[in-house]
Amino acid sequence: MSGRYLLRRFGLILYTLLVVSVIVFGITQVLPADAAVMLMGENATPEQLAALRARLGLDDAVWVQYLHWLGGVVRGDFGVSMTSGLDVLPTIVESLSRSLLLAVLSILLMLVVALPLGILAAVRRGGAVDIGLGLVSYLGVSFPEFVTATLGILLFADLLGWLPATGYVPLLEDPVQAVRHLVLPVATVSLILIAHVSRMVRSEVVDALHTDYVRAARLKGLPEGLVLRRHALRNALLPTITIVALDVGYVLGGIIVVEEIFAIPGIGRQLIVAVQNRDLPMIQAAALVLAATYCVMNLLADLTYAALDKRIQYG
Amino acid sequence: MVELLHRLVRSPQGAIGLSLVVLVLLLALFGPALAPHNPEALGVLRRYKPPSVDHWLGTDQLGRDILSRLLVGARATVLLALLATLLGTLAGAVLGTASAFLGGKADEAIMRTVDAVMALPSLLMSLLIVSAMGRGAENAVLAIAITFTPGMARITRSVALAVRRQDYVNAAVARGEGALYIVIREMLPNVVAPIVVEMSIRVAFAVMLFATLSFLGLGAQPPSSEWGLMVSEARRFMHLSPWMILWPSIAIALVAVGFNLLGDGLRDALNPRT
Amino acid sequence: MSFDATRRQLLAATAGTAFVPATLVPATGQAQGTPRRGGTLRISVDQAVGKLNPLLVRVNPEYLVAELLYSGLTRLSTDMTPEPDLAESWAASSDLATWTFVLRAGLTFHDGSPCGVADVVASFEAMLDPATASAARNNIGPIAKVEAGEGRNVVFTLRAPNADLPVTLAYTNARIVPAALSKGPGLARLDREAIGTGPFKLVSYEPERLVVVERNPNYHAPGRPYLDRVEVVIYPDPTAEGSALMSGGTDAMMAVQPTEFARLQRGGGVRVLRTPSGQFCNLNFGCDTAPWNDVRVRQALALTIDRGAMTDFVTEGFGTKGNDTPLNAAYSYHRQQPQREADIAAARRLLTQAGHANGLKATLIASDRPAVRTQFAVALKEMAKPAGFDIEVQTMPHATYLAQVWRKGSFYIGFYNMQPTEDGIFSLLYTSDATWNETRWNNAEFDALILGARTTADTARRRELYGQAQALMHRDVPSIIPVFFDLLAAERTYVQGRVLHPRGAVFRLDHVWLGTGAPRRG
Repeated sequence: MSGRYLLRRFGLILYTLLVVSVIVFGITQVLPADAAVMLMGENATPEQLAALRARLGLDDAVWVQYLHWLGGVVRGDFGVSMTSGLDVLPTIVESLSRSLLLAVLSILLMLVVALPLGILAAVRRGGAVDIGLGLVSYLGVSFPEFVTATLGILLFADLLGWLPATGYVPLLEDPVQAVRHLVLPVATVSLILIAHVSRMVRSEVVDALHTDYVRAARLKGLPEGLVLRRHALRNALLPTITIVALDVGYVLGGIIVVEEIFAIPGIGRQLIVAVQNRDLPMIQAAALVLAATYCVMNLLADLTYAALDKRIQYG
Repeated sequence: MVELLHRLVRSPQGAIGLSLVVLVLLLALFGPALAPHNPEALGVLRRYKPPSVDHWLGTDQLGRDILSRLLVGARATVLLALLATLLGTLAGAVLGTASAFLGGKADEAIMRTVDAVMALPSLLMSLLIVSAMGRGAENAVLAIAITFTPGMARITRSVALAVRRQDYVNAAVARGEGALYIVIREMLPNVVAPIVVEMSIRVAFAVMLFATLSFLGLGAQPPSSEWGLMVSEARRFMHLSPWMILWPSIAIALVAVGFNLLGDGLRDALNPRT
Repeated sequence: MSFDATRRQLLAATAGTAFVPATLVPATGQAQGTPRRGGTLRISVDQAVGKLNPLLVRVNPEYLVAELLYSGLTRLSTDMTPEPDLAESWAASSDLATWTFVLRAGLTFHDGSPCGVADVVASFEAMLDPATASAARNNIGPIAKVEAGEGRNVVFTLRAPNADLPVTLAYTNARIVPAALSKGPGLARLDREAIGTGPFKLVSYEPERLVVVERNPNYHAPGRPYLDRVEVVIYPDPTAEGSALMSGGTDAMMAVQPTEFARLQRGGGVRVLRTPSGQFCNLNFGCDTAPWNDVRVRQALALTIDRGAMTDFVTEGFGTKGNDTPLNAAYSYHRQQPQREADIAAARRLLTQAGHANGLKATLIASDRPAVRTQFAVALKEMAKPAGFDIEVQTMPHATYLAQVWRKGSFYIGFYNMQPTEDGIFSLLYTSDATWNETRWNNAEFDALILGARTTADTARRRELYGQAQALMHRDVPSIIPVFFDLLAAERTYVQGRVLHPRGAVFRLDHVWLGTGAPRRG
């Protein structure tokens, strides 16, 4: 892996962010109604709207607005929320930290459940675990997050009363409550992941068990457990990393819905609220941060893959 | 075709998937005729009723029959998802095949931009598009189609690249045919099979995405009985009747299961591996 | 002539009582004993506190926080009469066009600096400046000039006489801020910090999650507030908000959705509050646009509505039937008209007379906030069908609605809070010069009645004029007003001294205290 490769990847990430910012900016320009209308609500008079638009810089030509925004971002200034008047960057960083907690916990839960499940199903192909997993995973990938979340709330919060329905408590403020509030959102996000990844793991392991060198190892008379650990798993789990990285994009999308339903003040909710309020600097920053997270996770996945598998050459 | 069908129904996934999808399509076509009640008739005295002989799945916040609403809503939910997938696939296929055909710098530029667009989560992308174009079922369909385009373009391109190396394309190039002609007449037909598999899995995803948009208030609009919208509306009345939320949720999941199974079944049938 | 805060109380005690049904007694927690000092109240709200600046707040949770931190010259008591806040008394010239307010002595802001006449004048100038974009501008007055008088006097010169000025000055956005922060970059500081004269001082502010305030030891009312601290917690999901109160995670809910009320009523240790209010959901016609310019078409549609059923659909039974005027029993000058009920045959007849024998097609627009607008529209569509109305419902985001439909459209759903005065609601919505003249009814006779009532202090005369105005609206139907909402709230039983205010935007948490059984928080 050369420095040139890394440089190229970073170049691509910058290009990606530029494309994303242009797309998002372009779309926000066609949004019906603007932040001034939302701020003034039903009390807007034409002269007040005009004054407010001038103050928010909504009167400038589109490209002037864009360059102004881009110039700010290059200097690390993401502007000020048109709604609250608060700085965008600290707001985004704080909500991102809440979202990342949710995302990381969901991915961890997925790994803990999906890997053993997938391997077991592959090794005992056609067994009870395999058939059960097949069924459950089809169901899992077929429930949109909002359905899982809503049914979860109905069952665990409403009928059984075991868990709080929605809401967010910071980890440091009250750890027990914080965890109780995180159970349903994390379960919701990871359900689709578990269903998807465990199926992938299963098929990779099944493929690996059919390769020549596994057959050869078996012929040599090595014990099955050793064959599995040394040859099959290693080769099967490598592609899993790529799958997980690709799923990160999906996790980020899912988090938008899950945060909205569970009222978690993370980046997804921030984004939906910003779209409702036509808060352009906030929409831009949130979309950019989501895209950047996706890019970085992909890069990390590729680097991990390369580090684990020396045979792959990057240039 | 018959051969394919045979292979499809021999696998359990294929058989279950196909029958679920056929059932859903039948409901989408004949649902309104099968509905036992007028799905829009109000009933002050029969609000929030649990399932009964008269109303098999109960009634909603306005006293409307939930079963009838589900049956009528099948059309909005399923057919629109199919349409969105079709549009997205078409656009993606043209873009991907063109990129593969052009090759070199143009291919590189198109693909890097496609990658860039895919860095935006698909839900976010459709959410922004619908907000800009105005909410509503038609715009949600377009938004999902646009959102699907980059992914389909990428898949088509990789298949098309393999096809491009085939002799008949080289022959067409040698004949001096125009680029558009080659893409549409020679290359597209040969990339169709893998795309069909991808499509049937995408339909499941489109059903979910469409329902999610409706759930967020951006897709179908009241008084439509699109299933995602039904779940969204029912949430406000959860404590008055849990049934309202249960039935459309199950319906959405069943449709998605059907298309997922069908997709996997098709893949196995088209591409018989070990 | 002097208005010492008791004019309308007197009125209620004399002529008014006969018109106020018993259910109108404000809902209060049965206060036990004398107020106790101390403790933290955790109150939940259903929406983000997106704005801190008191001149710019827009929604109830923001009004709540602004009221904790800031004061106005007057405040509104539960019977909609003005009571002293920063002003200790006021008086009007005989033509009701010049008003003098006397400020309390020794007022200080939270930062210790004195609050004087100059701050009051600067605050009102800021509200009236279009560049500030404050909603107060359209809702107080009509003020021509605010200036410092002798000593602690503030003098308001009006553009037209107004008997209700002390009430309008209690408006949710009419708050006093330090003169130095009333314009330019100073004003922007109020987006993140709070320097007011209110009963509480700001401790921390997270728009989407939590606002914490603590007792202001220098508050002007002796002994108040009773609470040491108030935590305003944001729960965007009504189910979760209700569950939090039932489990004791919170002490009070600012407001309760009708769909949640029954569940809370059954909950142990929870007291529900309910008060009738003038809040309504309505259907607006553009009376200058065909086919709605024909009064028979408007009357026909009004006759299709089963108002009892509509009250159930829209309020879950926590409301009362409306009669196509914006006043109900919650207003003191309400006059009962014969109740309009559903009469499909009559509606058909009127529609035929108006030349629509084959029915009439129309697109009804409903914004998505609050959700009852859609519920109302969908129910109306079905109720109007048998009379020959073919109505298509179109919903849209609130932002789009405000920009494209509101005040411009000719057939859409409205939703309005109770206003503190009769004049407040009439000249906000229905007179030809109304701030939001959305029906464009432009009825000169009606205008004259409202103007007459505004410029006289004779209550019997006002009652007569407002009565005629209501009869006129009921007959002409510029707007169908089928349902009024009760305001609902809930609290743990140990919360004392809270009174649910029919205006909806007034909270008075400085009167609240915690009785026995309250948990220790914070």
